[in-house]
Formats: sequence, structure tokens, C-alpha cells
Amino acid sequence: MNLSIPGIIIVAAVALLGIGFYGLLAVRNLIKVIVALQILVKGMMLGFVLAGRLAGNVTLGQSLAIIVIVVDTIVAVVGLALAVQIRQRIGSLDIKTLTSLQR
Amino acid sequence: MNANTALIWLIALPLAAAPLIYLVGRLSLRASNNRRSPVVAWLGVLTLIACGYPLYFAGQAVLAGAPVELAVNAIHLRMDGIGLLLAVVVLLLGAMVMLFSTAYMAGDRGEEKYYALLTAMIGSMIGLGCAADLFNLWVWFEAMAITSYMLVAFYTTHPASLEAGFKYLVQSATGSVFVLLGIVLVFSQTGALDLLEIRNAAHSPDPVLLLAGAAFLIGFGVKSALVPMHTWLPDAHSQAPSGISAMLSGVVIEAGLVALLRALGSLSSVASAWGGLLLSFGAVNMIVGNLMALRQTQVKRLLAYSSLSHMGYMLVGLGAAMAFKVANGAAGGFFHLFTHALMKGLAFLSAGALLYTLHIARGDHDPLTLDDLNGASKRYPLTAFALSIAVLALGGLPPLAGFMSKWQIFVAGAQTQNLWIILLVIFAALNSVLSLGYYAPLVNRMYRKTPSATVENGKPTPKIMAVPIILLTLGVVIFGFAPAWINWLTAPAAASLLAVFGG
Amino acid sequence: MTPTLILSIIALPWAGAILVWWTGDARPRLQNALAILFSLSAGIAALLLIPSARSETALTLPVGGVFGDFTFVADGLGVFLAAIATVIGSLAVIFSVDYMHGEAQLGRYFALVLFFIGAMAGLVLTTNLLLMFVFWEITALCSYALISFNSDDPKAVYGGIKALVMTQLGGIGLLAGALLIYSALGSYDLNLFIEKAETLPTSVLTVAAFGFLIAAAAKSAQFPFQTWLPDAMEAPTPISALIHAATMVNAGVYLLARFYPAFESVPGWKTAVVAIGVITALLAGVMALVSNDLKRVLAYSTVSQLGYMVYAIGAGGIFASQFHLLSHSVFKALLFLAAGAVIHSIGTRDMRQMGDLGKHMPLTRAVFVVGALALAGVPILNGFWSKELILEAGLAHGPIWAYAIMVFSAGLTALYTFRCVWMVFYGPAQSKHHGHDAGTAMKVALIPLAIGAVTTWLLAGPFSHLLESSLPFHDIEASTTLLFILEVITAPATLLALAVVALGLVAWWQRKRLSGLAHALQVIGKAAADSFGFEAINRAIVNAVQGGAESLRATHTGLLNWNIFGILAGLIVVLVVLAAGG
Repeated sequence: MNLSIPGIIIVAAVALLGIGFYGLLAVRNLIKVIVALQILVKGMMLGFVLAGRLAGNVTLGQSLAIIVIVVDTIVAVVGLALAVQIRQRIGSLDIKTLTSLQR
Repeated sequence: MNANTALIWLIALPLAAAPLIYLVGRLSLRASNNRRSPVVAWLGVLTLIACGYPLYFAGQAVLAGAPVELAVNAIHLRMDGIGLLLAVVVLLLGAMVMLFSTAYMAGDRGEEKYYALLTAMIGSMIGLGCAADLFNLWVWFEAMAITSYMLVAFYTTHPASLEAGFKYLVQSATGSVFVLLGIVLVFSQTGALDLLEIRNAAHSPDPVLLLAGAAFLIGFGVKSALVPMHTWLPDAHSQAPSGISAMLSGVVIEAGLVALLRALGSLSSVASAWGGLLLSFGAVNMIVGNLMALRQTQVKRLLAYSSLSHMGYMLVGLGAAMAFKVANGAAGGFFHLFTHALMKGLAFLSAGALLYTLHIARGDHDPLTLDDLNGASKRYPLTAFALSIAVLALGGLPPLAGFMSKWQIFVAGAQTQNLWIILLVIFAALNSVLSLGYYAPLVNRMYRKTPSATVENGKPTPKIMAVPIILLTLGVVIFGFAPAWINWLTAPAAASLLAVFGG
Repeated sequence: MTPTLILSIIALPWAGAILVWWTGDARPRLQNALAILFSLSAGIAALLLIPSARSETALTLPVGGVFGDFTFVADGLGVFLAAIATVIGSLAVIFSVDYMHGEAQLGRYFALVLFFIGAMAGLVLTTNLLLMFVFWEITALCSYALISFNSDDPKAVYGGIKALVMTQLGGIGLLAGALLIYSALGSYDLNLFIEKAETLPTSVLTVAAFGFLIAAAAKSAQFPFQTWLPDAMEAPTPISALIHAATMVNAGVYLLARFYPAFESVPGWKTAVVAIGVITALLAGVMALVSNDLKRVLAYSTVSQLGYMVYAIGAGGIFASQFHLLSHSVFKALLFLAAGAVIHSIGTRDMRQMGDLGKHMPLTRAVFVVGALALAGVPILNGFWSKELILEAGLAHGPIWAYAIMVFSAGLTALYTFRCVWMVFYGPAQSKHHGHDAGTAMKVALIPLAIGAVTTWLLAGPFSHLLESSLPFHDIEASTTLLFILEVITAPATLLALAVVALGLVAWWQRKRLSGLAHALQVIGKAAADSFGFEAINRAIVNAVQGGAESLRATHTGLLNWNIFGILAGLIVVLVVLAAGG
């Protein structure tokens, strides 16, 4: 196998996406769901850096990645805050207890 | 006022007012040492009214023909017909919701957060409509999403509302990952982020760009509740405070749709399938939304599902415009966006008024069920009448606004002269009839002569709630009688869409 | 002058509706007065409009864009139906003052009636297809709201929603036709359409022709949509008289008559119209014969008589159909209102509990008998003349099998009419009900209608002139009343029809002797009582939709992982579509 640097990054990003989606589909703990989301976004950050390189505009790609980090952190904070509230009000972090809204 | 300055003010005003409202709220809470800070609500209302001033000047410039362009460092804003439409609808419905909330939210813990977040959400939606590059589009989109997560989960003491908020967050964030993926792919292929530049750079049916388009469709589709990415919507709409339900259903999912149109617009020459995809999503949305709504027992959940089907109508109009270049499809889709904001806003606000008087004011947080509505007209004639008007308009009965916007969409369908689209129009009309199967019994319930126990024990409606309800009712009726009065807004928006998609 | 009159015919009742609603239920007397005032003034305006009937567009409200200009024309068809709507509307409103006395939510009742009157007048006066559809739907909306006026009664709610859904389903035909016409012609003006019909693509014309036929069948409760009208009888009786006998159900006939010149040449259209009319007239006649609910008998007979009008149109007898429409509106409104007086006084609609009521309510009996004779087609009442004209037109231009069935149905009509009159007013008293005669307001409404049932046939001549002079595209031969009378009396077909009617009468007198035959026909009777299986079809469709909806709800599991799966599934579908279609 003869992988170039972009090739490695692509593989890594796709792997992160795969891990993330697997997590979203399979895990049953709210904190882990947030972690899975984070993994997904990490893959995208790699993607931005790579896209900047491919497009010949490395600085722009990297600055976009940084903005993604900022925004994504906020989402994670809000999500974790909700998870904390859920733990306090419902008493469990299991996704299966979060099924009161059906049909 | 200069159009560019006006645009800055239009976006900056609500964004700057949001922290201010929060600050004032905290300070006044501390100063008065009690639990109420009514001043924040009126600050919010004032902000939105003040926004009307720059909106007027920016709007004039847009209607004069030229989009208002503006670049602040790397942030590139461009207000065209679609951006103007979104700004008008957002501010209009936002003001109504703010007014309504002054009574609905009075006394709730964290009122200052509510108004600050709502103002920020309105500001970011206006920004979303004006974003001229793909990455900015995403940032505005996320800003709107984050504020709305917190608003949906506003009742942090209620398990159901937390549950809805969390699910909404996870699904919406997943959608946003797809948007990012799309941006990455487009950026790496074309090296451009500006929507127009991308459009100029991308015309070959490059598989990477096709994948990017699919990612946009799914990513923004989560927010605009395309089936099967819709599952967050009924939960979030039914658990949020009623004003927020109105905002979510009336403008937030439509903002997602606008973002989708922008993103796909930049890839319009990559594939010709976008319009067809929107048309098929429209068909699925209509039937699933209606069937799911048919058997609901909670009023707000029923209305939430009906939002799905109305998104379907918009998709049919816009999809027809994208695939067949019929101007009426775009104008009809945008007209329906406008009337849907009025109708669904009215429906959620009047259902909210009933929820408030029947449950919240009495200290319980049970959902408003259909049985609660029995005989509501006796004690709450205005609210019951408004809710009836709203649902009948949603069902597409003339002479109400919902009929006219659907009609324009149907005309566009007929004008395509394509058998499949004409069949789709007939399918859409059948769906309107189907929707009466759940709207009509709801109206009948309210006009029963023997009121339910809940209605008997209800509290009186706060006076201020009547104001937005009356205004929206008038809107729904007036635009039914004079549909052409909104042409000034929908025609430029349609022109903007066709400028991107019309070869 | 004409524009003002047109506007006031529509706007006066609507303004009245708002005022009555505004007045509030605390002041019922003021509500009554306002309702009568506004409906009567609209009626007067409509009558004043008749002399100025023209075929030119009389009023244009510019709207622009894709909605066209809202145009109105006061031609013969329009003014005559507007007059029926407003005049009978006023009488129904007057009747309601007694009938609805003391009911709750009177404001809603009168407001909806007035709203309906205005919309019905608008429907027949406008020449804009979009606006016509709008008014079409408004009348359906009012009809629904008034059928289910008593929202506490599940049967009333069911009947109302059924009426709404079925007429809306048919309305899609009108919608599709109007949309295609607009997209082909670039205009909603229906006179322009009729003029240029020949030049339109055949496909558009065919879809429009059959779409309009479906819409008309649904609105006029024709086969296979006939099931909603009997269930609509849960409405307060003045509503049944006004909306479900005299006006709204005629809208379908009006639509067919209006567009006849355009669709005449579409292959198969005329045959389809004739077939629908014939089947409906026959089926509904049989159903009327076996029903025991006074209002349902009248409802079935309405359906059957509407079948006659549709048949006449299919046979090209536009004038005959419209003339019968006029007669039918008068005598059927009379019958319904008189039945309302009966029901109001004894509190039941079941004819098996009536009998010998004539003693206590002589006036009601008298007017009911007048209406019944007109319905049965007994000379010299108005129903006789117009039915004969229809049968003559059918014999001259329609297929002979259709004519035979229609003549047979005429006998059937006589039979069920006599049965109904007998069971209510003459037969042995079945219960201790002691009715009181109609109140003053009821009498005020009944007497003009009874006079009308005896005299409106005298208008045949002027009516034909009115239609002929203002309908440029319809072939209508103007004549004088005297000539019409001569034409009817001298036609041999008249004698045949009269003989059949007499036969129907004899069949009722000799019903004991015919019991063997009746026994043999019991199967048909049973089937008729179940509406020949159409109710079952309706129920099956409703159940299938509801069941489908209920099982679809299972897809919303509430499990977050599942929701995410939905998103990914969406992605896969989109990718597959893109890969396949590129």
C-alpha cells in the first residue's frame, strides 16, 4: 500500500465518520451519544484542513476548522448540560428511558 | 438610510440586543429582589419593532432590483428576494410571539433567558437568509439551531421537554455534520465558498459534488423536517413553550428550507435531479404528515405533524420551480411559506392560549388534549374562533389564506404540462381533503354545547394574548381575500430562486 | 346599477353574517331581526337584478397575477339561481326564527346561513374559474358547519364531515379542470373558455369535462357520491330545505348546464351525464321508497330529482333542466319546511311514529300536500310541467333506454310520495303525539312557497326569454308560456308519464294486494336500505385510512438510535436516486 498524506487523512476522516455513526446508532448512554457526535465533527475538522490543502488555500481551511471547533464546543456544552439535567430529573442516562414521546 | 447600513443594523440589532436583554433582566431581578422582570419582554418587543426601520430601507433597495451586498471582513452578506422574505416573515411572527409570550411566560423562571435567546434566534435567522457564502450559511444555521435547542428544552424541570430538547439537539447536530461534509467536499473540489463562485465553478456532474448535494439535502433536510429525517419535529414542537412551537413551525423549519435552497442553488448545474428530489420528498411529507396527524390526541402534536405536510406543499411548489422553471411554483412555494407562518403561528398561539388558560395557569403541565377542547367556544369564544380559522385555513378552505397559496402551487403544477406533476397536484389536493379529516372534528369539538370539565375550570385569558391572535386571524383572512397583496414579496423571492435555477 | 346589485347580493349577507355574530347570543331578537333584514334585502337586490340580465361582464375586481381578475356577469343562469338562493334563503331564515327559537349559539347559526347565501349567489354570478371554485368550497364549508351545527351529536358531526370530505373529493375534479384550463388558456374567464373550447387540446378538454362532471356529481349527490346527502339530514331542517334541497345541491346541475356548450362535443361525456342521471334517479327513488325517516325520504327524493336534471342536461335539455331546478327548489323547500314544522311540533323524524297528524296541523298538511303533488308530477302544479319538459327532451335527444327508466322513476316518485303523505298525515295515528300547527314565522315562510308551487310554471315563457337573451353559447329556444303548455299537453309522452304516475298512485292504494310482489322485492328493499352497498364502500375506505394511519404511528418509536437511523436511511435513498438518475 502506498498512501499519500491526503489519502491517510481521507481514510482517517472516513473512519471517524464511521465510528461516530456507529456510536449514534448503537450506544445507549447519553454522554456517549454526545461523544459520538464529537467524533463525527472531528472527522469533519480533518476534512476542512485537507480541503484547504486540496483547494490550495491552507490558511482558510485551517481557520474554518477552528470555527467549527468553536461552534461544535458550544453544541457539546449545551448537549452535556441537557444530559446533566436529564440525569437529575429522570435519574438515568439510558436512551431507553427517553422514550416517553412516542407515536 | 443607506441600504448597506440598514442591512448591518437589521442583523446587528437583535444580536446586540440579546445579551443586553439578558443583562437587564438579571440586573432588574437583583434590584427588585423578586422573581419577575417584565421589562425584558417589552425590551424584546421593542427590539423587533425597531428592526422594522432598517428592514424598510434594506427592503426598498432589494425590491428596487439589486440585492444588497455587504462584506464585513470575511463575512459576506447578500440580501436578495429570498433573504428579504425570510426577514419579513421572521420579524413578523417573532413580534407576534414576543407579544404573546409577555403573558404566556410571565412568572416562569428564567424569563430573561427566554427573551434573550428568542431575540438571538431571530437575529441569526435574518442572517441566515442573507448569508452569501457556504460556510457563513452554516454558522448562521448553527447559531439558530443552538438557540432553538435551549428554547425547546426551556422547561428544564419537565422530563418530557428535556427529552425533546436532547433528541432535537442530537438529530440536528447529526444533520449539521452532513452540512459540514457537504461544505468540505465542495470546498475541496472548487476551492470556493461564495455561493456564486461555486455556481460558476461547478457545472460538470462530478460525483463528489453530487455527494455534496446529497449531504446538503440530508443535513438541511433534518432541520426542515423532510421525512424520514423528521422524527425530532413532533417531539420538539409539542414540548416547547407554545410561542417557540409557533416559531419552530412557522419559521425555523422554513429557514432550514431556505438554507437548503441556497446550498443546492450553488450546485444547480451539477445535477438536474434536485427539483425532482424535492418533489418526491414533498409527496412523502404530505402523506406521512397527514396520516400521522390523523390519529393524534394531543393538539400541539397534531399541529406539529401537520407542519410536515405543509412543508410538503412548499417542496412541491419549489421543486416544480427548480425542475421546470415555472415562476409560479417558486412564488407559490414562498407564498405558502408566508401563509404557513401566519396560519401555523396562529394555530400554535391560540392552542397555546388554551393550554395556558386550561393547564399552565392552573399550575399543571399536562398536554392539551383534544378532549380538553370540548365546548371551548363557550368560555373562550375568541380563541376558539381563531383556532378554527387557523385549522380551516391549514386545511385549505377558501376564503382563507392557506387556500390561495396552495392554489398558486397547484397552478404551477398544471403549468409544467407534465403528467406526473399534474398527478402530484391531484395527490396534493387529496391530501388537503384528508387533512380535513382531523381539522374538522377539532373545530366541531370546540363548538360543542356542553363544555369539558377542563374548560369549566379554566382561567380567563390574559388580555394581551388576544392582540397577536386577532392580528394573525386578520392576516389569515385578508390574504385569503386579497392574495395578490403579497406579490411584492413573493415575486422577487421567486425571481431570486429562478435566477439560480433557471438555466 | 348592475355592479352595485351584484356586489350587494354577495356582500349584504356577508355583512349581515358579521353583524349577527357580533351581536352575540345574549340578544336573540336582534339577531333574528338582523338576519331577516339582511337576507331579505339581498333577495330584493337579486330580484331587481333579473331585468338587467346581460351576457357581458358586469363587474371586474382587479386582483392580478396568477389569480386572474375577479369578474362577475349577470346572465340568465346567474341571476335566476342567485334569486332562488336569496329568496328561498330569506324564507329559510324567517322559518328559522320559530324553528330555532331558544337554541344555543344562534349567532353562529345565522352567521353561517347568511355566509352561505352570499357564497351561493357569488358562485352563480362569477365568471372567474378560481373564484367559482372558491365559492364552491365556501358553500361546502357552510354546509358542513351547519350539518354538524349540533356538535354534541356524533351523528351530526359524522354527517357534516362526510358531506365535507365527499364534496371536497369531487371538488378536486373542478380544481384539476380549472387548473388545466388556466394553464392552457392563460385566463380564468369561463365565457372565454366556452368560446375557445374547440381550440384547446383534446386532453385538457376531456380532463376538464369529466373533472367537472365528478365535481358536479359530488356536489349534487349523484351516483356514486349519493351517500352524503341522506346523512346530511342531521342538519336543522331549514338548512336541509335551503342548502340540501333548494340551492347548494343544485350547484352541480348549474355547473353542467353552464359548461354544456364547451363539453358537448367531448366523446362520451353526454352519455356519461345521462347515465349518472338515470342511475341516480332510479336508485334514489327505490331508497326513498323503503326509508322510514321523513327527512331521509325527502333527501332521497332530492337526489332522485337532481338525477332528472342531470339527465336533462345530458340529453341537451338545458332549459328543461333549469326549469325543473326552479320548480324543484320551490316545492322541495316547501316540503322540507313543512316537514320541519311537523318535526318541530312532535319531536321525531320517524314516520312510523306519525300518522293522522293532519287533524292538529291543517295548514301544514295543506301545504305539504301541495308540495307532494308537485313532486309527484300531478297537473297542474309546477313539478308536472317541468318534469314533462325533461321527459320530452329526453325522448327527443336521449337514448330510449334512459327514457324508459326515467318514466318508470316518475311512477316510483309518485309511489313514495303518496306513501310518505299517507304515513305522516292520514294513516292511523301511531303514537300519542299531539302536534301543534306551525308558528307565525313558519307560516310566513310556508305560504309563499305553496303559492309558488302552484304558480311558478306560469313563468316558463319569460324564463326561456331570460335564458335565451343572455346566454350566447347555449342553444335555447325562447317561447311563450302558452306554447309550452300546448307543447306539453299535445305530446303523447305526457299521457304516458301521467299514466305511470297514476299507476304509482294505484300501486299505493292497492298495496295490500301487491304484498306478494312486495315480498318478492324485499331483497331490493334491503339492499336499498343499505344504499346498495355504497355505505359499506365508504366505511371500508375510512377504516383503511384510519387503520393505515394508526399502524404508521408505530414508526415513531421515540428511540433516539432509531431516529438517527431514519436520517441515514434518508441519505441512502437520496444517494441511490442520484446514482440511478444522475
